[in-house]
Amino acid sequence: MKRILVCVKAVPVSAFVEVDSQHRLKRDGINLQWNAADASALEAALRLAGEDGSVTVLTMGTSKLESPLRELLARGASRAVLITDRRMAGADTQATARVLAAAVKKLGDFDLILCGCKAIDGETGQVPGQLAAALGLPCVSNGETLEADPDGLTITRRLETGTQELRGRTPTVISLCAYSYPLRLPGILGMRRARNIPVEVLNADDLGLLPEQCGLKGSATKVLAMESRFPGMRRGPKETDLTLGAKALGQILREVRP
Amino acid sequence: MISQNALHHAEKCRFCWMCRHLCPVQHQTGKELNTPRAKGLLLSMVHKEAQQFDKDMAQAMYECLLCDACTNDCATGYQPPLFIREARTEAVVSELAPESVMHLIDNVERTGNIYGVEKPGFGREGTDVLVYIGEAAAVKAPEMAENLLKLLEKAGVSAKVLEKEPASGVMLGDLMGYTEEVRQMAAVCAKALNETKLPVVVLDSYDAEIMTQKYPEWGFEIAAGVTTATAFTAKLLAEGKLEAKAPLGVTGACHDDDRLARTFHEFEPVRRMAKAAGYDLTEMFNHGKLAKSCGTAVAWGYMPELVTRIAGGRWTDLTRIGCDTMLVANPETWQCLSLCVPEGCRLVDLFGALL
Repeated sequence: MKRILVCVKAVPVSAFVEVDSQHRLKRDGINLQWNAADASALEAALRLAGEDGSVTVLTMGTSKLESPLRELLARGASRAVLITDRRMAGADTQATARVLAAAVKKLGDFDLILCGCKAIDGETGQVPGQLAAALGLPCVSNGETLEADPDGLTITRRLETGTQELRGRTPTVISLCAYSYPLRLPGILGMRRARNIPVEVLNADDLGLLPEQCGLKGSATKVLAMESRFPGMRRGPKETDLTLGAKALGQILREVRP
Repeated sequence: MISQNALHHAEKCRFCWMCRHLCPVQHQTGKELNTPRAKGLLLSMVHKEAQQFDKDMAQAMYECLLCDACTNDCATGYQPPLFIREARTEAVVSELAPESVMHLIDNVERTGNIYGVEKPGFGREGTDVLVYIGEAAAVKAPEMAENLLKLLEKAGVSAKVLEKEPASGVMLGDLMGYTEEVRQMAAVCAKALNETKLPVVVLDSYDAEIMTQKYPEWGFEIAAGVTTATAFTAKLLAEGKLEAKAPLGVTGACHDDDRLARTFHEFEPVRRMAKAAGYDLTEMFNHGKLAKSCGTAVAWGYMPELVTRIAGGRWTDLTRIGCDTMLVANPETWQCLSLCVPEGCRLVDLFGALL
């Protein structure tokens, strides 16, 4: 596998994030980490690419992501691209996929495009399919393992009730489940190498996108309301006795899944 | 290159200064820079480009035992060792780490251990368990390793030891943070241990920690399970496979090592071993979960003078309660505490005491 592109998303480190008046996550001032499923996709890409291939990581977000992208270069990616533009803020999944597709077309031909199956902040899982549609490529979701041979790819998908094995040809878009491939750590030599690789930065103009195709303006959907399912963190009485605590937990679990 | 996750831990301090009162390095040096909080602040300033990551800062990041006392009592629940480890990686990448540290890293890369010597072999065949001796025990506390093996034999346990035991990665991880090089070293070790298909009994709790906490995160587990040598010995005592000795009429205090105390929350097995060896028990200040570190093998490697002072502080804790017998079951604490045994005091290896 020669040229692989991996779409990655930075998500909040903490589960406690605020939303603004338009129900968008407030990302300013919070620390971010790479989405776990995207990390799996990157590791799968690095293994498939081997020594001869190249892996490009592509993300969309604020300019603060330059440094975290360098961390992915240290882990073995050969090229890092950041799409950043205030006009893209508040994009829904379709607008996001449109921007990513424009970037993929600009960056060149890829044998394979990998994504995480969903991001832990939005939890929609829609972008990989929408990206494939925008590029006119097939898409396989919820991949767990990926093997390449000269004739194509063998993919194991995770289903609700088991697994499914598929054969496919490239180019294609595949989304990977979280933790299917534990991402390697940055190595000392990789970190030194990453210092000398520039992170490429693109905006809407570079991608030939009009303002009405990006961000809130380019979004087909809008969040109208949000409601917290559990008001407050502690719903029940505090239990300090281990046995009684285990019984109380068992009761809650039975309520959730009788 | 400090990760956002590490910065998250560095920047969420409420300035309660509890870590300042607990840090064994700060106790000995009195330097404000040696509080976990100060290290977090420095990294935060580097991130905000208000400060350069320079040699002095790199030096400060190594003046830490990674003992986790600060994590244990952090009011906000954050983990200073997490960002201190990443800062060490940055120091190595930037070639700013102290010479003494770089020398140890070279040793580990050459021989697998900080001492730069070929690891003595304890190889033997067995069918019940695999004993993992570890670098510190093999080189600096071989008697403790031999005592454990004799004890297992006495209990009728058929113990295997690998002829060429690979390094667990714990030493390199402490020296330069958790990098891919450490993960690769750990992968080799996990593969060798798993090939035996035997449950692993680990003598050094620092090795046990990386095997149980980091290996699964890095994608490889020890399939047959990992037990600390102390927990395994206590189980043999409980099962009656080892006999308790007659009371010695001597009072001793158990030193809880950092990992047993704070990673495994394992306090009782060492005390059960001590009682079975015939000792009456007393407790030092800051025992159990609050255990004060006496140093580690790695820290001794690059700052022997400071570790000797830190170990001396633990001996002071012992004599302050009118006791003269320190009971230990970890090769690294044995190595550090044996650097400065005060006159009239005794350091006892609990595996040997049970023979």
